[in-house]
This record gives sequence, structure tokens and C-alpha cells, in this order.
Amino acid sequence: MFVVTIWMASTIVFFLPRLSGQNPLAEKIYQEAQQGGYQDPDVAERVRVFEEKYGFDKPLWQQYVKFVVDVVQFDLGRSIFQWPKSVNEILAEKIMWTLVMGLLTLVLAFLIGSAMGALLEWRRNNWGLMVAMAPILAISAVPFFIFGLVLQLIVFNIDREFPLVYGFKQGVVGWPDWSDWEFIASVLKHAILPALSITLVSLGGWAMGMRGMMVTTKGEDYMVQAEAKGLPDRVMLTKYAIRNSLLPQVTGLTLALGLIVSGVVLVEIVFGYPGVGGQLLQAVRSNDYPTTQGIVFVLAFGTAAATLALDLMYPLLDPRIKSDGT
Amino acid sequence: MEQAQTSASVASMDWWRTLPDRSDFVRDRAVPIFRYLRRNRLMIIGLGAFAALGLFVGISYLFYSQVDLLGEEQGVNGLVRAASVQANQRPSWNPWSGFPLGTDVQGRDIYAAVVVGIPLSLRIGVIAAAIGVGVGMVLAFVAAYVGGVIDAVIRTIVDSLIPIPGLLVLVLVATSLNPGQGLTVDQLAFVIAVLAWPGPARVIRSQVLVIRERGYVEMARMSGTSALGIIFKEMMPNLAPYALASFVAATSGSILASIGVESLGLGPLDSPTLGSMIYWNIFTSSVLLGLWYWLLPPIIVLIVLFVGLFMISAGLDEVANPRLRRRV
Repeated sequence: MFVVTIWMASTIVFFLPRLSGQNPLAEKIYQEAQQGGYQDPDVAERVRVFEEKYGFDKPLWQQYVKFVVDVVQFDLGRSIFQWPKSVNEILAEKIMWTLVMGLLTLVLAFLIGSAMGALLEWRRNNWGLMVAMAPILAISAVPFFIFGLVLQLIVFNIDREFPLVYGFKQGVVGWPDWSDWEFIASVLKHAILPALSITLVSLGGWAMGMRGMMVTTKGEDYMVQAEAKGLPDRVMLTKYAIRNSLLPQVTGLTLALGLIVSGVVLVEIVFGYPGVGGQLLQAVRSNDYPTTQGIVFVLAFGTAAATLALDLMYPLLDPRIKSDGT
Repeated sequence: MEQAQTSASVASMDWWRTLPDRSDFVRDRAVPIFRYLRRNRLMIIGLGAFAALGLFVGISYLFYSQVDLLGEEQGVNGLVRAASVQANQRPSWNPWSGFPLGTDVQGRDIYAAVVVGIPLSLRIGVIAAAIGVGVGMVLAFVAAYVGGVIDAVIRTIVDSLIPIPGLLVLVLVATSLNPGQGLTVDQLAFVIAVLAWPGPARVIRSQVLVIRERGYVEMARMSGTSALGIIFKEMMPNLAPYALASFVAATSGSILASIGVESLGLGPLDSPTLGSMIYWNIFTSSVLLGLWYWLLPPIIVLIVLFVGLFMISAGLDEVANPRLRRRV
């Protein structure tokens, strides 16, 4: 499944941009050639040389085979608009921002949401919890980045100094510098809003899923038995109820990953965050195939890999499943 | 609660015993649906949100006539023009100036834009979801009914498409189809339909597999009903709640996707859909300009829309899984 996903992603990523019938390379070179006001007589020749370099002169199927072979080796080619940077270099700068933001918010939302859902069902008539859940459920249907905009609006009207966009304070000489504590503080402060907008919105879904599972689990025979044994409430909750309800949540996690990645990319764009989202937008606007392909492919690869990892972890969480099947 | 439960089973199965023996559409269908709806609170709230949006749009279309500044068209056309054509106004918010929600950076009437934008965005969602669920359903039936290699192929394709972040693929499709000028509203709907089918296909396939083993299907098969007959007469009616639930979910997902694609500036930028309003807001960083009255209306409408769709689909889930009904 993993291999098929990767192959599909690379195929989609290869063919879609080529459907447009545009030639960004020639456009870029002609544009540059005109910039000085001086007409370079060798422009056509230059285009030809670059097309050869990028392999655009070969038949489509040869390009495709080369692309797939390269991609398997994680060679994503060179950017057209940021020549001569390679796509890998561009990604290396940006991917950590996205990865950290995505993983952190995902784990936070999953853990807090599941815990809330579990407690919600365990203490059925707890008004405090129910009141806290109502707004969280209401916003759980709203897209991340729309909620992000709402947060921006609110925060802007409370505190004009609070950073709304970018990943760290702009215009400081020497930044980004990860050994500077002030820089790290600035990064953390800038991360608050985007992280909040992702986490708060995703809480509701996990809580509802967990609550639904807890209902089923509570009706199981082993819960009755645990109660009959006189186990303390806490042990019953953590070792019996939550332990068994968590499994379907993990399945939900594998299904939600794709949506979450899309959401994080949009949030990054809204908040001007220095992850791959802004880079993707820029690449798409400038028709920079290799960069667009590279970013989409890496994100799809990451999602598929995470899905695979969760699938492989499943037997650890659920001893009933032995990994002898698929 | 107990009371409600018994009346539920009465409403769904034996209710007609209490009525005079007369078959009548209202009694046969409408009354039980109504009785059931009264208890399905989620569904009521969701439908209510939709009705409110519908009323808002309908009444505005009827009574809100903003003559565009060129004075050329009035009525509905005038509204559409007011939503998309600059009214030679500065961005401002003054409800008594003739623009109830103010005007945006380009001097367009925000109220008109919202009124025109709601049906446009819904249209994208509904077209994409209809195609998605249609294709998904056909694939699901083929997979579950034919089985064997075809099932394996369809399942593999569906399962391996699901982890691919949809928005990114849509972005690629949208840019490659029409770079530069942007898409029209209907084109955007078709683009989104490209990825709207794996989800419904997966859900419906698993339901078909369950329903196929039911007694009444076995019965129909033994009495010689053709495969198509079984599918349409026996299975479809029982799949309807699932199909409807996945249609609503797909509509919500498609609107979400359209807003995402549009917010990147890849949608129909000339048509005042809710997504392109958001795009222009992000583009001009309206928050920092203090133009909250421009950003807020589309956001509020979207929140109502998404929460409404979510509740309707949760309510439909309850119809589809009677086990959920007991605990509300």
C-alpha cells in the first residue's frame, strides 16, 4: 500500500503540472533576457541548453522514468525560479518548521482531545466539562485557517504588539540564529497563534471519537468484571477503558493525516509561517514545476510514511493483531 | 428517555396500527419523519442553520436592491454587479450610508458579496459532492458486488489515495488547468470532484458488504431477482441514509477544499465566492489594516455553514445507526 501511494503521488505530481502546456523555463529565461534592456541574441540557444539540462527536450515517458528513478533516490531536481538552488536545499530550509508545527499540534490535540473525550464519558454529568466542550465542538467543524483568521482578529484587537505573522521577529540582523535565546523566544512566541488555531480546532474531533468509543467500551463485560473486582476508579479508567478505546482513535489518526497536512499548509500561509506552505504558494504562482513537485511529493511521502508507521505500530497497541497478515 | 425510545420504535415500525386504515403519503412518510426529527436535535439545529442562511439569501435577493454605481442594472443582476464591481467607495463601515456591511478595499458592497457568495460556494460543494458520491457509489457497488481482482484493485486505489493530502493535489490540478486567469465556479467544482470520491467509495463499499449478507437480499436472490434489481430495489433504499450522510460530509469537505484552493488565489477571483473573499482578505492583510468588518462576514457565514453541515451529517449518522439513537 505504501509503495502504491508513493508511486501514485509521484505520478500525479509529475503529470499534472505538465498538463498546463506552459514552458516556465523559457518564460523565465526570456524574462531575464529582457531585464537589462539589452537583447541577448543567443536567448533561444540558452533556452535550449537549459531545457537539455532539465531534460525537458526528451519525450515525456523518458522524463517520467527519469523522474520516478530520481524521486526514489530523493533527488528532486533543481528549482527553476531559484536557480541554481536544488529543491532539496529549499526543502531543507523549510521542512523543519512544518514538521515541528504539524507534529507538535497533532500530538497535543490527539492527547488532550482523547483525554477530554474519555473524561466526558466517564464523568457523565460533569457540567464544567460539558460547558468547556461546547465551544470546542462548535469550532471543530471550522477549517484550521479560518479559525486562525479569527484568532488573528481577536488578538490584534486586544494586543497590537503581539506577533500575528511570520515565524520570528523580522528585520533583526543575524537571525535566524538558533544559539540565540532571544531568537528562540521569538520563535516560540510567533508559534503560539498558528499552533493554537490547529490544536483547538482538532480537539473536538478527537474528543468526540473517544467519547463514542468509551460508550462502547463501558458496556463490555470486562468493565463489569473490573468493577466487581473492586478496582479503583482510576485504574478502571486508565488501564481498562482508555486503553481499549484508544485503538480506533489511532485508526482515525491514520485517516486524518492527509487532511491535517493540508490544513497545516494553509495555516502556514495565513500566518506567513516560514514552512513549506508559503514556499508551495510561491512555486505554484511562478509555475516552478520542480519545486511544486518536490514539495507536494515530500508532503505526500511524509503522510504516507506516517500512515505506514502507525499501521506497523498497531500490533504493539493491540496484541490481538499479529503482523503475519498484511 | 424510556418513553422516547418506545415511541421511536412505534414511529418506525408499528405506528400505523394506531391510525385508521388509510394509506396516505402524509401519514406514510411525512409524519414519522417529522416525529423522528423532533427528537434528533442535531439534525434540527443543522437544518435550522441552513434554513437561516437560505432565508437570509432569499430575502436579500428579493428586497435588497443595490443599484450599481453605473446605474445600469437593478434587482438580482444589480446585486451581482454590486458584489463584484467597484462602487467607487473607500473601504468603510457605516451602516447608514447605504452599504449595510460596509465596502471592501476595492469599494465593493460587502453585504451584496456575501449574499451572492453563499449560493456560489454551496454550488461548488454540491456539484463536487454529487459527482464524488455518484462515482464513489458506482465504484463501491462494482467493488463489493463483483469482488475478486476488481475489488482488490479499487480498494488499493482508494486506500492509497486517502493518505495523499488532497489540497495539494487540488492545487496542482487548479494551476495546471488554467494558470493565470483562474477558474470559473463550475470548473472549480469539477476540479474538487477529482478527489471527492475515495471517501464515499470506502464508506459505501463497506456498507454494501454488510447489507449484501442480510436476509432480505438473500431472499430476493433466491426468488430470482436480477443483480440490478437487488441493487436498486433492495439495497439502495437501505443504503440511502449512508449515501445521504456521505453526501453531506462530502459537501462539507468539498466546500472546505474549495475555500482552501480559493484562499491560495487559485479559484474564481472575479466571482465573489466566500473563498475568494477570504483570499482578498489574506492578500491585503485586512486584519492589520483594521478592516474587521470585511473579514468577519464571510467567516461567520462559513462557520454557520460548516457547523450546520456537520450537525446534519451527525444527525444522519443517527438515522443510519439506530444504536446511536439511544444516547443523545
